[in-house]
Amino acid sequence: MKEEEIVIDIQELKKSFGDNEVLKGMNLQLHRKENLVILGKSGTGKSVLIKCIVKLIEPDEGRLRVLDQEVKDLEADEELNKLRRRVGFLFQGGALYDSMSVRENLRFPLERLSDKPSRDEMEDRVYEALRSVGLEKAIDKMPAELSGGMKKRIALARTLILKPAIVLYDEPTTGLDPATSKEISQLILEMQQEYDISSIIITHDMACARITSNKMKVIRNGVFKYKGTYDELREKNDPWLRDFFE
Amino acid sequence: MKIAESLPESFQRFFINVAGIGRFTKQFFRQVFKPPFEFREILNQAYRLGYDSLFLVGITGFIIGMVMTLQTKPTLEQFGAESWLPSMVSVSIIREIGPVLTALICAGKVGSGIGAELGSMKVSEQIDAMTVSGANAFNYLVVTRVIATTITVPILVYYADAISLVGSYVGVNIEGNVSPSLFYKQSLDILVFSDIVPATIKTLFFGFAIGIVGCYKGATADKGTLGVGSAANSAVVISSLMIFVIDLIAVQLTQLFIR
Ligand SMILES: Nc1ncnc2c1ncn2[C@@H]1O[C@H](COP(=O)(O)OP(=O)(O)OP(=O)(O)O)[C@@H](O)[C@H]1O
Ligand SMILES: [Mg+2]
Repeated sequence: MKEEEIVIDIQELKKSFGDNEVLKGMNLQLHRKENLVILGKSGTGKSVLIKCIVKLIEPDEGRLRVLDQEVKDLEADEELNKLRRRVGFLFQGGALYDSMSVRENLRFPLERLSDKPSRDEMEDRVYEALRSVGLEKAIDKMPAELSGGMKKRIALARTLILKPAIVLYDEPTTGLDPATSKEISQLILEMQQEYDISSIIITHDMACARITSNKMKVIRNGVFKYKGTYDELREKNDPWLRDFFE
Repeated sequence: MKIAESLPESFQRFFINVAGIGRFTKQFFRQVFKPPFEFREILNQAYRLGYDSLFLVGITGFIIGMVMTLQTKPTLEQFGAESWLPSMVSVSIIREIGPVLTALICAGKVGSGIGAELGSMKVSEQIDAMTVSGANAFNYLVVTRVIATTITVPILVYYADAISLVGSYVGVNIEGNVSPSLFYKQSLDILVFSDIVPATIKTLFFGFAIGIVGCYKGATADKGTLGVGSAANSAVVISSLMIFVIDLIAVQLTQLFIR
């Protein structure tokens, strides 16, 4: 495989909710083993964009290829689920299953694989995932007993347990203190390096963007208005853009 | 389009609900025979829903059985037909009061519980999280709960019927003396096939309605905590209404086919 391989290819993607035009022709390419940070004000459609990638939301127009498959054409549940297992999604609020313990949360996706691993193997994978986020001791806790930062990390472990090729992070550090934010950002970087994961990271947190990004794109008025590396964007003399960095 | 828009909002909502529940029911029957079968979760839900309602259903059944007996007794005495008391009470309980009352209690307790649970899962994106992990969320959340209520409600109805008869026995014996064996002979002998089977079949539908409406309202809850509350609330309202409609249809059908 070439290093430069494109894993997500989005062209002229459009989505409206009623009169509310949210995405007005988005273009984006994510390369293999790349961390792409997406920046944008609240309500500009960042979450909508990455939900389109896993078909939680159906776009109105445009092309959307993920891992060489046209997402629109995946009608059968089986094919779609196969793709979804290769694309991890970290939700803005973590979305841990409240009625299940941490162990059950992590086992849930494994138990629903068509070639379900054995009990022991599942237990091993649960521990491995928890170890990678440094929270083995929380295995028997319920989500209600965890702090915000722990929830995010457990959610990250649950996302990684299927060993996805791509991970979509929706504001992984919002609502956390700076120290914990930094830990999570570094975790994201480690995941990229250790497991060769390509990711899209949505964030308002510039420290997170600086640590994790290889490339950045900024949404304004429903399209990507700026792109470049963290340093390139910081040097730009656009007052609108400056607001993010201050 | 125009006609629909000119209707009052409550009518529009009514038709939206009818269409949505219809769609949900269709999806249920498409998914229910498809693997993976979540047997463990079905049992888990059935146990939880049933166990949670035992006390409330039991105590209501007991009181209703007793009150009905005490209320009917003076009337029957006037005609000197006191010995008919147990049979009269048992027929009305088993045909009508037991099933409808139990179903309404379950609509209030179980239906609202399902609506609130799925509603908060929807709002906090837990359902989306299941979906994107490649699991079939409809299968895991909706199919299991609907099967669970469809099994559990009839069982709870039998249980309520039995306890009502105990209540009725106590009622008969407050002023009077009827031996248990005579009481049960009088109250059960009168029951025939056409009392029990239609009553059981309709309770299956009650259970199904409670499950499907609770899940539908939960899974379509609006964002925000307000959405969860109103999902739970309208789950109760709609499923109670459906229980009466099903009951009405059941009466008509029973009369058409059996009598
Ligand atoms: N399911 C939906 N139905 C209707 N409108 C929606 C839906 N999802 C999102 N929207 C609208 O799309 C717009 C973009 O929402 P989105 O959640 O993508 O914002 P965001 O960029 O992620 O913001 P934030 O940083 O606050 O998370 C908002 O105006 C929102 O109201
Ligand atoms: Mg968002």
